[in-house]
Parts: sequence; structure tokens; C-alpha cells
Amino acid sequence: MIFPQLTHPRAYIGAAALLALLAAPLAINSPFVYHLAVQVCIFGALATAWNIVGGYAGQLSLGHAVFYAIGSYAATMLVIHFGLSPWIGMFGGAIVAVVASLVIAYPTLRLRGPFFALATIAFLEVCRLLVVHFEGLTGGSAGLNVPLNIGLQWMIFREKWAYLAIAFGFLVVTLWISWLIRYSRFGFYLIAVREREDAARAVGINAVKVKIAAAVISAALTSILGSFHAMYLTFIEPSAAFSLELSIQIAMFALIGGLGTVAGPLLGTILVLPAAELSRGWLSALGNGTHGFVYGVVLVLVVLFFPRGLVGHLGGRALALIDRLPGSRRRGPGPRPKQVANRVASASKGQPLLVAEGLQKRFGGLLATDNVSLTLHEGEILGVIGPNGAGKTTVFNQLSGFIAPDAGTVKVRQANGEWTSPSSPEGFAQTGVGRTFQIVQPFSGLSVLENIMLGAFMRTQSAEEAESIARDVAELTDLTALLDHEARGLTVGGMKRLEVARALATGPKVLLLDEVLAGLNPTDVTRAIAMIRKIRDSGVSVLMIEHLMQATMALSDRIIVINAGRLLKQGKPADVVNDPAVIEAYLGKGYLDAQAA
Amino acid sequence: MSIFLQLLVNGLLLGGAYAIISISLTLIFGVVRVVNFAHGELLMVGLYATWMITSHTGMHPYATVVPVALLLFIIGAAMQRFVIQPLLSAEPHIQIFATVGVSTALLNLALMVFGADVRSAQASFGTDAFQIGPVSIVTGQLATFLIAILVALGVYVFLQHTFTGRGFRALAQNRAAAALMGVNVNKAYILVFALGTSLLGLASGLLAVQYPVFPTVGQYFVLTAFVVVVLGGLGSLPGAVVGSLFIGLIDSIAGFYVGSDLKEVVYFVIFLVILTVRPTGLFGLGRGSE
Repeated sequence: MIFPQLTHPRAYIGAAALLALLAAPLAINSPFVYHLAVQVCIFGALATAWNIVGGYAGQLSLGHAVFYAIGSYAATMLVIHFGLSPWIGMFGGAIVAVVASLVIAYPTLRLRGPFFALATIAFLEVCRLLVVHFEGLTGGSAGLNVPLNIGLQWMIFREKWAYLAIAFGFLVVTLWISWLIRYSRFGFYLIAVREREDAARAVGINAVKVKIAAAVISAALTSILGSFHAMYLTFIEPSAAFSLELSIQIAMFALIGGLGTVAGPLLGTILVLPAAELSRGWLSALGNGTHGFVYGVVLVLVVLFFPRGLVGHLGGRALALIDRLPGSRRRGPGPRPKQVANRVASASKGQPLLVAEGLQKRFGGLLATDNVSLTLHEGEILGVIGPNGAGKTTVFNQLSGFIAPDAGTVKVRQANGEWTSPSSPEGFAQTGVGRTFQIVQPFSGLSVLENIMLGAFMRTQSAEEAESIARDVAELTDLTALLDHEARGLTVGGMKRLEVARALATGPKVLLLDEVLAGLNPTDVTRAIAMIRKIRDSGVSVLMIEHLMQATMALSDRIIVINAGRLLKQGKPADVVNDPAVIEAYLGKGYLDAQAA
Repeated sequence: MSIFLQLLVNGLLLGGAYAIISISLTLIFGVVRVVNFAHGELLMVGLYATWMITSHTGMHPYATVVPVALLLFIIGAAMQRFVIQPLLSAEPHIQIFATVGVSTALLNLALMVFGADVRSAQASFGTDAFQIGPVSIVTGQLATFLIAILVALGVYVFLQHTFTGRGFRALAQNRAAAALMGVNVNKAYILVFALGTSLLGLASGLLAVQYPVFPTVGQYFVLTAFVVVVLGGLGSLPGAVVGSLFIGLIDSIAGFYVGSDLKEVVYFVIFLVILTVRPTGLFGLGRGSE
């Protein structure tokens, strides 16, 4: 879907509301209203662009004005020094903004923490100093006047309505890009990374790459808007363009409207900006800074009492009303995907698929994994057991790339028969190793369907196809009835099945299950056992950590026992449970002695 | 050579001024896990308070340290209790928004009340200098430096050897576990935050001798303090001290050889290089601590 389907009530109501923003000023035809409408369009678009990195990706850019200023200065300087039309110059600015955003984003978005927010502020300050310093080029702190060549090619007009038309055009394009991102694979990825970076990586998402991409897109859009705004204001100066206050204002509009929503940033702007402009007169009569003081207080109050914004708090009810209107609903079922798992070539059945050799991992003084080697064959269920603290999950994390072993290798056989050793969680996911987490990690703000779709996106770009895969996987994992529920509302059993479903949707050859039976009630255990069998029969090889002995005995073709970081025993279930060393590991030496006695 | 020696001394002494601010920033971050973007504005409030007391009573800025620190203790406690505490379990970016809101409000409040004028406190002692060999030393800077060292030692002893300090360290490592061991989380956070901000009161009294006050003065110091804290490792006390001295040296040397209007550019490049090469900083608490 490249364009919204306009027969859907949500789409036509949205389009009508948007057109009102254009029609109302044209009808009133007063210079002040035109100015207000242009400002609303530009700031609405700026907040929408900010929201791509600040909302969708959850990375707070507090110096976003730097990209706006880069656009303003680039377009203006290209007009002044080269006589280049701002329609072309704005792309020059966008290129500079992209480079600048990479400089900030690359070092900081690899890290978790406040580094990105800090770096954006610092960068804003530095750019302002540089612009003031090189005054020959930039006009220094006095600023620059835009040459007043009237005409469409210079973006300078006598009539206010022409500015409004262009501003509205920029707003529509920005909203469209934001909408496109939100409902594309990229948008799902951003939300997944924001909510739970680890779980996102386990379904093959390169978290750093998607965050940087969001920052870059947002910077480019912001810069283009800045170019136009400079032409509209016809004057730019460093203290107004590179301003922390402007950055915070943009972010605040998005927050008030609703972070991470498509309509929120614009709604927030429509609500706040006219009120702020109208009150500017009498507020500044009270003294310099009153305006900013009110902004600061409003920001704190919104965060404390209204953190999800207009759309977050009221959006559900509004949408329910809109959905009662006539119009077409969803489209027919998407194209049928390939089978969930179809690679079970019987010729290779029983061949090694995942091989770990001599794994070793030390945490400080603790040797958590001591020379563990294991092999998972195609089509088998391999159980991993061992007492608490034996190091099972550590082995698991090494098999899925979450921990790099100190020594030893993990190899996966690819479809073409060659072996590969991925080095990152997303690398493992992409070579066909899916995993679940012992402590469930649902993307709790998303629906069950969207959770599973995130896995499916590893195989397809298209949202329709991903949905279709997700529905098939839901069938296999008994989640069909719950597809539209929010993931946070599931029972423990449901969450564990969701973990499996999400991993399964990536189309893995190998599925690593970390205690998916733990904490389930007996009915759910029976269900889960049937589910694991079905998964194996569909051609996926399973390696499972489990404490529930009966279930492991019943399911596993082979069992590996790990104790104190070492491989204690492997073999058929019946042999393993009767092995004296295994019994000793679990029950201590006393038990054997007592039995013998 | 004597110029370079002078720059070296100036840098180290300047580092002392940054050190107090950085220690308070890193203390709050290390324990409460909140990046306080309003830190600079709290310093600004302290500087204005110092200026008001000195200009009305004629007291020396150093003598105002106690009442100003007390004022900032109260403001800090209130900010933690009414702004940060309700947001403790919120997402980090919501917390950042809140502190940014406080920062914007305070900055503009100062603009409303005092206007944009630059004001300086009068001081009889602290602006004069004495010579040691080729190097001239401003007494106020030396005093700031020595007190910064005392503050660092004091905070260290407090964290290592007192019951409350141990509670703070426990909280820094694991909030839930500390709560289970009987640390009153909310009370301790209020205390940490207020102690952190009252250090800013101390800094204001010392800095008012050398620096004028205006509404955006806090941003000047705190952007630098953020670089210091990232350089030293977020939440690390020795990191804050070493980072401050290092940035003080960079400030003084880059200010002379690159130009005083571009020295912040040098910081920022250092900031990005640190984040690229060693994101946990010099004395970072390691991964997961961010």
C-alpha cells in the first residue's frame, strides 16, 4: 500500500480535516490567519518529521533545530552565492543534514542511554558557534537576508496564499512519508527496537541500522522544511535558527499530540501553536520570557499527567466513532505466502545442522561454559537439561549470538550446504536460528498479530504477506483467537506461545526454546507439547532447555545434560535419566547412597 | 614555555570549577538514573541567589554558600519529589522531557524576573592574583580548586564509609534489591538529588567571584559538565574529577591555540571520539549501567 485507501472512513475523515487547514484561511482571507496557517503547516510538518526519530524510534533529539538551520542556511547561501533556486538548494541542505545526522547518530545510537539526546544538543551549540565564527560566508551573528527575487522559482511571493499552498504541500508530503513508514516493515522495526531491543534483534532486526535510518530520514525532511521556512521568513540568524528553544518546541508539539503516532504531532501543533501565537502579545507584556516559562510549565504538566498525548489518551475513542461511518474496511486476504517451513528435504534429514565446538565463556572468576560441544541434527528435538545455574542459558545465548564465546565456534549449515558462523543475534536469526527468551519479551504495546508479523518481516517486505504468514503461524501456535488482543493482556501460557510464534514466523530451520513450558498450568503444558511436535513435523529442528522432566523425556529424541558449565552426558532420554552422574548432579551423592542402602 | 605553563595551571584550576558541577551531575545520574537536563538552570538559580544576597547585604560570595546550598537542597528535593519520582518507572525519554521542561521554565523565569542583563557579584577577596615563579594564580580559582578536591574526597568517604552512602551505592546497583534490603527508595532518591543540587549551591558561591550571572549561564557550564561526565564515565566519581581536569586543560589550551570562540568545537569532537572509541568513558561502570 503506497497510498491510504480513501474510501476507508479513517482516511477520508483525515483528508477532510487536513483540507480544512487549507480551506479555512482561504475563506477568511486575513494576513494574520494566513501567517498562522503557514506556521501551523511548517511546525506540524517539523513535528511530524521529528516524530520519526523521536517517536517511532524513541530516540530523543533535543537539538533537532540544527537540521532545520542547516536547511535554512544551505538554501539561503546557495541563493546568495550561486543564484541557485531554493527548490534545488533545499536538496543540497538535505545532503548536508544527512551527513550531520550520521556524524551524531553513528557513535551514539549504538549505545543505550541518553547519549543521542546529549550529542544533538552539543552539536546544535557547536554548529551555532561555527556559523557565528565564519561570518564571511554565513553573515555571522547578524544573520542573512534572503534576496527578494519574486517568483515561484525563488519561493518568494507577494501573495500569502501562495506560501500557504506550498507549506501545505510540504505538510502533506511529510505526513505521507510518516504514514508510509509507520505501516511499513521499517516502521514495525522501529517500534520493535524502541520497545525491546533484544527481542527485536532475535527476529533478525539490525537495531542500530534502523535507528540510524530513522535519524537520517528525519534530518533530511527537517532540513527541507527549514529551507522553505527561510524563504518564507526572508531572514535567518544563528540565534533563532540554531535554537534549543525551537528544538524543544518541536518535540513538545509531538509529545502533546502523541509520540509515535501519525496524526499526533500535527494535532499537537494545531492545538498549541495558535494559542501560543495569540497569547504571545499579552504574555510578553508581562515580561520577557513569560512565553517560554509557560511552555516549560506546560511541558512538565503534560509529561506528568498526560504522557501519551492527545492521540494516546483520546485517540481510541475518536477512532471508534470514526469507524462507525460508512466506507470500505479491510482489503481481501493478502497473497498466500510460501509454507511456514518447507525446507525439510528428506535427504538431509539427520544431518548436522547446528554445531557448537569447544564453547568457553568466563564471567569474571566464574567459568560459566567450559568446553561445551554439541550438535543438533536436522529434524530432531534435542533437550538440554541441568540443575539451576548449570549454565544452560549461557550456552543458549552463545548459540544465538547474544553472547560471544571466549573460545570455540558455533556453525550453522545454510540452505546451499555451506557452513557459516554469524557473529550477532540478527546474523543468527537471518541464517535461520530462531529463539525464544526464558523471561518473555513481548512487544507489549503491539497486538499479538503485529508481534508475530515482526518475525515474518524477516522474510518479506510486504505488510500483507507478513500478516498472512503471521496468521498461519498463529494457527500452528494456537493464537488465532487472540490475534487482535494487545500482547500485554496475554496469560503466561499465551505469552510463551507468542514467543514461539514470533520466532517461528522468521521461518527458522532451528528453533531454540528457552523454558517455554516453565510456569504453565497442566492444560497449557499439554497444548505446548503438541505444539512443539507440530513444529518439528513441519520441518524445524528444535533445541529446548527445559526443567519439566516428563515433558522433556516425552518430546526429546536426544538429551544433553549440562552441569557446572560442562557437558555431563548426552544420549537417549532413557539412558540419560538412569545415569548415576546425572542423578548425582541433580540430587547429590547422598541419594545414590541411600538408594543403594 | 612560561605561557604553556600558565595555560596548564589555568586549565587545572578551571577543571576544579567543572569538577564540583560534574560530581553533582554524576552523583544524581549514578544513583537516580536520571539525566538532569535542568542542572545548568539550577546552577543559574544558585548564581542569582548568590548575587542577590551579596548585592543586598554586601556579604562576600563565599559567605553565602550555606544559605544558597540550603535553598538548592530544597529546590532539588522538591524537583525529585514532584517531577522525577512520579516518572521513575516511565520510559527514559519521558524523564528527559520532564527535566527539559523544568530547565525551560527556570531559564525563562530568570529572564522574566531579572531580564537578560549580565550581573556580577562584588567580591573583595578572590579576584586578586599572586605569582609563583613565572605563573600567576588567581586566589579565587585556587580556592575553588582546593574546595573541589575536598568535595570529591568528602563525597567519596560519604559513599564508601557511611550507612546512608552504602545505601546509595546499593540503589545505584539494583533498585529492587536495595528496596528489599530496607533502603527507602523514594526517600534516598530525594536525598541524593537534593545533595547533588546543594553542591551546585556551593559551586555558585565559588563561581560568583569569577563569573557574571545571566539567564543562560547554566547552559555554558553544564554542556561542558555533560562532556566531562561522559568522558569520565556516567555515574563515576573519579571519572568526574579526572574528566574535569582534562576538559579544563583542553579548555585553556584550545582556547589559546584554536580560539576562544571555537574551544567548544574541540570538546564536541572529543565527546564524539570518546563515544565511538570507549562509550563507557574512562571509569565507566560497564555495560548495562547506561
